[in-house]
Amino acid sequence: MPKITIDEQEIEFAAGIPVLQAALDAGLDIPHYCYHPGLTVVASCRLCLMEMKMPHPKSGELGWAPKLFPSCQTPARDGMVVRFNSETVVTGRERCMEYFLLNHPLDCPVCDQAGECSLQDYSYKFGKPESRMVDPKLVMPKKDIGPQTLLYSDRCVMCTRCVRFTKEVSGTSELCITNRGTNSEIDVFPGKPLDNPIQGNVVDLCPVGALLDKDFLFKQRVWFLQSAPSICPGCSAGCAIRVDANDDIVYRLKPRFNPGVNDWWMCDEGRFGWKYALSDERITTPRLRRGSSTKTPKWEDVSEILQYRFSQHVDEHGSGGMVVVLSPMMSCEEAWLLLSFMLKVGPNVTAVIGPILSVGEDQAFPAGSTGDETKFIIRSEKAPNRRGLEMIIDQAGCETLSFDEFVESVGDGEVSAAWIVGGYPEKTWVPKALEKAVGKLELLVAQDLFETKLTAAAAVTLPACAFTERAGCFVNHAGLIQPFESAVAPPNGCHRDGQYLYELAGYQGLYTPDRVRELMAATMSQFADVREAAPAPVHLH
Amino acid sequence: MADYEPVLLKNISLEGSTDLKVYESAGGYAAARKALKMTPDEVTEIVKEANLRGRGGAGFPAGVKWGFLPKDREVTYLCVNADESEPPTFSNRVLMEKDPHQLIEGTIIAAFATQAQKAFIYMRVEFHEPFHVMQNAIDQAYAAGYLGKNIFGSGFELDVFIHRGAGAYVCGEETGLIESLEGKRGCPRIKPPFPAVEGLFHKPTVVNNVETLCNVPHIIERGAAWFKSIGAEGSEGPKLFCASGPVNRPGCFEGPMTITCRELIEGDGYGRGMRSGKEVKAVLPGGISMGVLTADELNMVMDFDDPRNFGLLGLGTAAAVIIDQQQDIRKVLANITRFYSHESCGQCTQCREGTSWMDKIATRIADGVGRTEDLDLIVDVTKNMGMMPGLSICGLSDGAAFPIRTIVQKFRGEFEAYIAEQPPTSTLRVLSTFN
Amino acid sequence: MAWETIDRNKPVTAKEAAPLLTEAIKDKIRVFFDRYETKRAVLLPALHITQEALGHVGPQAMEEIAELLEIAPSEVFDTIGFYTHYWTHPKGEKVVVACRSISCQVMGGDEVLEACKKHLGIEDHGTTSDGKYSLMTEECLAGCDHAPCLLINEKLHEKVKPEDVATLLEDANNDKIEMPRSDLYDGPPGGSVDSDSKAADAPAGE
Repeated sequence: MPKITIDEQEIEFAAGIPVLQAALDAGLDIPHYCYHPGLTVVASCRLCLMEMKMPHPKSGELGWAPKLFPSCQTPARDGMVVRFNSETVVTGRERCMEYFLLNHPLDCPVCDQAGECSLQDYSYKFGKPESRMVDPKLVMPKKDIGPQTLLYSDRCVMCTRCVRFTKEVSGTSELCITNRGTNSEIDVFPGKPLDNPIQGNVVDLCPVGALLDKDFLFKQRVWFLQSAPSICPGCSAGCAIRVDANDDIVYRLKPRFNPGVNDWWMCDEGRFGWKYALSDERITTPRLRRGSSTKTPKWEDVSEILQYRFSQHVDEHGSGGMVVVLSPMMSCEEAWLLLSFMLKVGPNVTAVIGPILSVGEDQAFPAGSTGDETKFIIRSEKAPNRRGLEMIIDQAGCETLSFDEFVESVGDGEVSAAWIVGGYPEKTWVPKALEKAVGKLELLVAQDLFETKLTAAAAVTLPACAFTERAGCFVNHAGLIQPFESAVAPPNGCHRDGQYLYELAGYQGLYTPDRVRELMAATMSQFADVREAAPAPVHLH
Repeated sequence: MADYEPVLLKNISLEGSTDLKVYESAGGYAAARKALKMTPDEVTEIVKEANLRGRGGAGFPAGVKWGFLPKDREVTYLCVNADESEPPTFSNRVLMEKDPHQLIEGTIIAAFATQAQKAFIYMRVEFHEPFHVMQNAIDQAYAAGYLGKNIFGSGFELDVFIHRGAGAYVCGEETGLIESLEGKRGCPRIKPPFPAVEGLFHKPTVVNNVETLCNVPHIIERGAAWFKSIGAEGSEGPKLFCASGPVNRPGCFEGPMTITCRELIEGDGYGRGMRSGKEVKAVLPGGISMGVLTADELNMVMDFDDPRNFGLLGLGTAAAVIIDQQQDIRKVLANITRFYSHESCGQCTQCREGTSWMDKIATRIADGVGRTEDLDLIVDVTKNMGMMPGLSICGLSDGAAFPIRTIVQKFRGEFEAYIAEQPPTSTLRVLSTFN
Repeated sequence: MAWETIDRNKPVTAKEAAPLLTEAIKDKIRVFFDRYETKRAVLLPALHITQEALGHVGPQAMEEIAELLEIAPSEVFDTIGFYTHYWTHPKGEKVVVACRSISCQVMGGDEVLEACKKHLGIEDHGTTSDGKYSLMTEECLAGCDHAPCLLINEKLHEKVKPEDVATLLEDANNDKIEMPRSDLYDGPPGGSVDSDSKAADAPAGE
C-alpha cells in the first residue's frame, strides 16, 4: 500500500484518494466544509489547506514549498510529505474560522444543528473565542425552499455541497447560488422548490444549521438523541441508516455510509416513511378468540397456547393443509424461528412469501443514468427481505406456493390452518379474495401491526413490531446480508416478534440476532459471520 | 525616450485606422501571411524566443503557455481576454477601438500556432464602441478571406466570435473567463488542470490578453531579436502604459519597460506632469491591484521586476492612477475596498468574507468612525489574503490585499491623523449601536 | 413558521399566458447555437438578446430561456445573479451608469453621481417614475483617460462635469452611438430574423 507522511506520521492510504481523505481515513481531524467524498471537489472553503514538501526548482532539494495547497484537491501520492500542524497552516485556519463566523448570527440556542454542527466543533477546536469585527453583520433571509426543507441563509458557510448534490446526485438541479461575493446565497428558482425523492440528503450534507428538515424542526436537541444502526425497510435496496431516538421515541432517520449500497444517501420515502410506527392504532397485545368472545392471554402463556392449537390441528387434520405466510418485512432470524416452529409441529407445512408491493421501476439518480454514473437507486420492490426469506425457505426444503396461489387455495378450501404474518406499513395489504375466504380456515394465526380482516378473524392475534423496535438482518436485492439493531422499545405491553418466536421455537432466554444466526449457520453458512455492513462513518461531517 | 518608435500604436492616428485597407496599406496582415507559411511550432518558437510576457497582469510568457498544449489534442480553443476591468486600465480599449485588425492578425497567428480553429474574444459588455469596431473588422476580415476557411491559401481555418461579458471583474481571470464563456457564473476554476490541458468545454485552451496578441504580428514580422532589443532583460518588447488622474495629458502611451513611474507622469511623451496646483500624493501604478507608491517612490521602473522592490505585487496592467495631495486617503482606501468586496466571486472564504470585512472597516474609517486598532486589523486581514500563495483559488484576493495593505502601511500617519481629529465620542457612539 | 420566511414554493409573479420570448427573439438566440459546444454557453448572449428585446429578464423569461437552452431554470437564475449588467426587474429606457473607479473618484466622479441622483430623483439601482431612466454604478468603464465618465446605454460620456449633468440627461440622443453595425452578432447574415412560421407564409417561389 502506498504511504504518505502527514504531520510526521507515516500513513498508508488507498490509491486514488486526495490527501484530505487519506488524513480523515487515518483518523486525523482535518477541518473541511466543501469537501465531501460523494461530490466533486471545488476546493473553495480553503479550510483544509496544507503545506507540502517539493523539490527546490533550482537545487532539487526537498523542502517545504512556500505555498499552501488544498488537501482536498491534491491527490495523495506515495512518498509524499505534508503537514497540517505548521504555524502557517494553523494560523491560516484560525483566521479562516474567524471569517466563517463574521456574519454568522450565533443563534446556536435556537438552532437544530447545535450539537452536531461542524461550525461549532471547528470553532472550538481550530478557531478563536472572539471575533475582531465590530461592524454590523450582514443579515440574510430565511427561505422556505421546498415542502420538506428550510434554508436559513445567514447560517450558511457557502460550501455548496447542497447545490452540487442536486446537480450531481439527484440530477434535479433545483438548488443554485444567487448573487456573488459576500452576498452569495443558496436559492431555488421561485416556484421550482427543492422537491425530489432524495432531497432530504441536502440537510445531512449541510455542515451547519442552514438547511433544516421541517419534520425535525425544533423537535429535539440532538445531544439527547441516541442512535442505533439500522437498515431501511422501505425497499429492497437495504440502505444503511441510523435511527435517532430519545426516551423510546424515534425522531429522525439518517443515512449511514455504506459503500456500494447507498453510499452516503437515503431517499425521502425511507427518511419520512416510518411514522406508522408511532400510530396509536397498533396492536400491542396478543388476543385469543373463540367464537365471538375474545380474551387477552398473558405473554408467558402465548407459546403454550400456540403449541397446543397447532398440535391439536395436526392431530385432527394432519399437516398437509398447513401454511405459513412469511412476511418480507420480517428479519431473517424471525422468519427462520417461525418456520422452525411450524416445521416442528407440521413437517408438511407449506411456506409462502407474503405479498411484495412493487411500484413502477427502479428509480436511478441522476435520472436516466446507467452504470457508474448512477449515484443512487430507489428499488421498485417495496420490501426489505424477500431474498432472505427465499434463502431460508430454500434451505428448509419445504413445499412452497406463491402468495396468489395461496389465496386461491384458501378460497378452494385446500388450506386448513395458516399463520399469516403482515407487518406492512399499510393496513390495506390483505387482498379482498383472502378477506373473503378467510372463514374457510380451521385455524388462523395473524401477526400484524394493525387490525385487518385477518386479525379480526384469527383465533390467535399477535402484535408485530415496527423495524425500529426489532433487531435482526435483512438480505437486500443483491443478496447482501445486513444486520440492524433495535432503537426503541415496542409500545407498552407489546413484546418483540423475535422474542416470542424464539420462545415458540423452543429456545430459552433472551432473543438476540447473534444467537439465532449462530443456530442458522449450522445449515446456512452465509449467516455465520454477519457483521455491521457499514464501518464507522468515514466522513465525520 | 523621444526616439522611441511606436509599434502597437503606430496606426492609431491614421485616417480610418479601423479599416482593413488602411491597415493593409500600413503593412498589415503581412505577418499573418508569413506565419501561415511556417509550421505552428516554428511560430511558437519565435514567440518563445522573443520572451513575450503576458500583458494582462501576470506576465507569463505567451510562447511557453502555447507550448503547454498537449501534443495529441484534437480541438483547441483560443480565448482573447478583452474583459479589461482592472481600474484604471484602458489600453485594450484603445487597441480594439483604433486598430482592430492588429488584434485580428495577432489572433490568426496565435490560433495558427496553437492550431485553434475557433477563437472567442471575451469582451466586457460596457465596451460598446470597441465591440462594434471589432465586429465590423471581423466582418471585413471574413469578407477578405482572412478568417474562415483556407486562410491565405494555407488550408488553415479559423472562426472568430465576440462573446460579450455581463459585468464581472473576475471574468478577466482566465478560468473565470472560461466559466463565463460556458454560460456559468464566472468563478475561477481550481488548477490543475490548467486551461492548456482542460479549458473551454474541457478542451485544451489558450487564453491571451489583447495587448499580448497585438505584439505577436510584430514579433513574426521583425523577429525575436528585434523584440528583445526593446526594453531590458526580462521585460522585453513594446508596452502600453496608461496614466489617469490629474495629469496634464491622461492617456494610453507606448514605450519600453525601462521608463520609471515618474517618466510616465511627467515625461513629454507621456503624462506631461501634474496639472497646475496639483502635487502627487500617491500612485497606483499597475492597475489598483498591485499596490501603491508614495510620491517618494516614483523612481520605480515600470517593468516586471522592479515593483517587487517597492512592496508591490508586480507590474500588473501598467496603468497608473495618480492621486493628488487634495485627496483624502481614507476615501481612496474605501474606494478600493469597495471594489474588491463588490467583485469577489464569493467562492473562497478568505476572499468572500475578507474583502467585505475590509470594506466595512475602511468605510467606517472614511466615515470618521475609525479606530487606530482598525489600521492594524485591516493589515492583519490582508495577511490571510495575499501573504502566502495558494490561500485562494485565484489571484483576486492577493490583488485586494496588496493595495489595501500598502495604502495603510505607507500612509499610516495620515490615517492616524484623521483618527486623532475625530471627536472622541463619535467612535464609541457609532460602534455601540452595532452591538 | 415562527419566523418570517420567503416562500419559494410559489412563483414570484403570475405567469403571462403568451410566451415572452417570441419566435423572432428565439431565432436571434438560436444563431449562437453553432458557435459553442453546449447550449448552456449561449446563456450570456441569450440574456443579452432577451434584455434588449424585453427591457429586463424576469422569472418567466428566465424559464423560457432555460427551456430553449435545455437547462434548469435554476441554472439561469444562478448565472444571472452573478453579473451586474442583467436586470431581473423592469428598468428604465435608458440606463445611466456612473463610473466609480478610483480615477473617476479622483477626477470628481462622486459629484457627477450625486448630480445624476439629484436630477433624476433616484438612488443607485432606482428607476424614475416615468420609466425613462435607471441609474446604476460600475466599478470601472475603462474611460479613465477622460474621467469622470458616464455611460448612457451605449454612449460613453467623458469628462462629465456635475453642472453638465442636467443638460446631458435632457438630451434625447444621449444614448446612441453613430456607427455601422454588423448584423453577424445580432442575427443571421442579411439581418433576416424571420421565424420559421413566417418563412412558411412567404409566397412560393421567393
